Amino acid sequence: MIKVSVNGEIKEIEERLNIKQLIEALKYKQKGFAVAVNTTFVSIKDYEQTIIKDGDTIDILAPVQGG
Amino acid sequence: MNNEIWEIGGKRLTSRMLIGSALYPSPASMEEAIKESQAQIVTVALRRQSAGDGGGNNFWNIIKELNINVLPNTAGCHTAKEAITTAQMAREVFGTNWIKLEVIGDQYNLQPDPFETLKATQVLIKEGFEVFPYTTDDLVVAKRLVDAGCKILMPWGSPIGSGQGLMNPSNLKAIREKFPDINLIVDAGIGRPSDAVKAMELGYDGILLNSAIALAQDPVKMAEAFKYATKAGRLAYEAGTMQKREFASPSTPTIGTPFWHQFDK
Repeated sequence: MIKVSVNGEIKEIEERLNIKQLIEALKYKQKGFAVAVNTTFVSIKDYEQTIIKDGDTIDILAPVQGG
Repeated sequence: MNNEIWEIGGKRLTSRMLIGSALYPSPASMEEAIKESQAQIVTVALRRQSAGDGGGNNFWNIIKELNINVLPNTAGCHTAKEAITTAQMAREVFGTNWIKLEVIGDQYNLQPDPFETLKATQVLIKEGFEVFPYTTDDLVVAKRLVDAGCKILMPWGSPIGSGQGLMNPSNLKAIREKFPDINLIVDAGIGRPSDAVKAMELGYDGILLNSAIALAQDPVKMAEAFKYATKAGRLAYEAGTMQKREFASPSTPTIGTPFWHQFDK
């Protein structure tokens, strides 16, 4: 298991998960969202190639109200 | 209301009001206010949402059903790097290359950071974004942003959410005169419809506001008020206002004035 930060919360996840697998494991319900790993954007087409490493910071952002 | 067509970011629009989607008392009042405003651009944002929370879906569904242009912002970013990442994420989520670039330099008055804003602008324009930069009313910053390739500038009227109106109309006017071909939007600080009228009378192409409508006692009615104010200001600009004069000048003809008024002269 490795420790990562997902949206500011520390989580223990299996090693060598890619982004697609992480999203599935989290049971993320939001329909439209985008992902950044260590403050760098990861496009949806790169989810499967992007392997999450110990200590990574993952942000999953979804639409909200804004001015 | 008949509105002439204007262009911004490659879109042809009739409304000159850009409206925010935050701070309304309820999702229903947000939806109603946006419809009443007849705005064709609505600003939205991206935030972290917990895994089991599908709550944001409801908001996004309402916005999609309005079928108007979405302008995502980078609110909350303090560096060019954060803003660039947020813009890239927004492009994927919202399916638009428009970005309201907001890089804050001071937490107290939420003043945009001109250096980080410019840095982010240079990268985002190269990546094909249509950048709507939130900036101060500083003419030199405006010039640098235009040099970087911006076709749109959004100087503030006054700090975000302050409702103080146009703090420095002469600076806003100078930007208008310097950049006749750039789309200029007054963003932030508009508190009441008279502020919108003033911005439009200066020849600005539009206004962007949120709090003034969302925090009104009746947001839907205030959206209507701003709709007319924006239009009134634009018409006044197109009509050309009269020159101010030092002295009074009668509007009623003086020829044929009865004799008993002759000693008034």
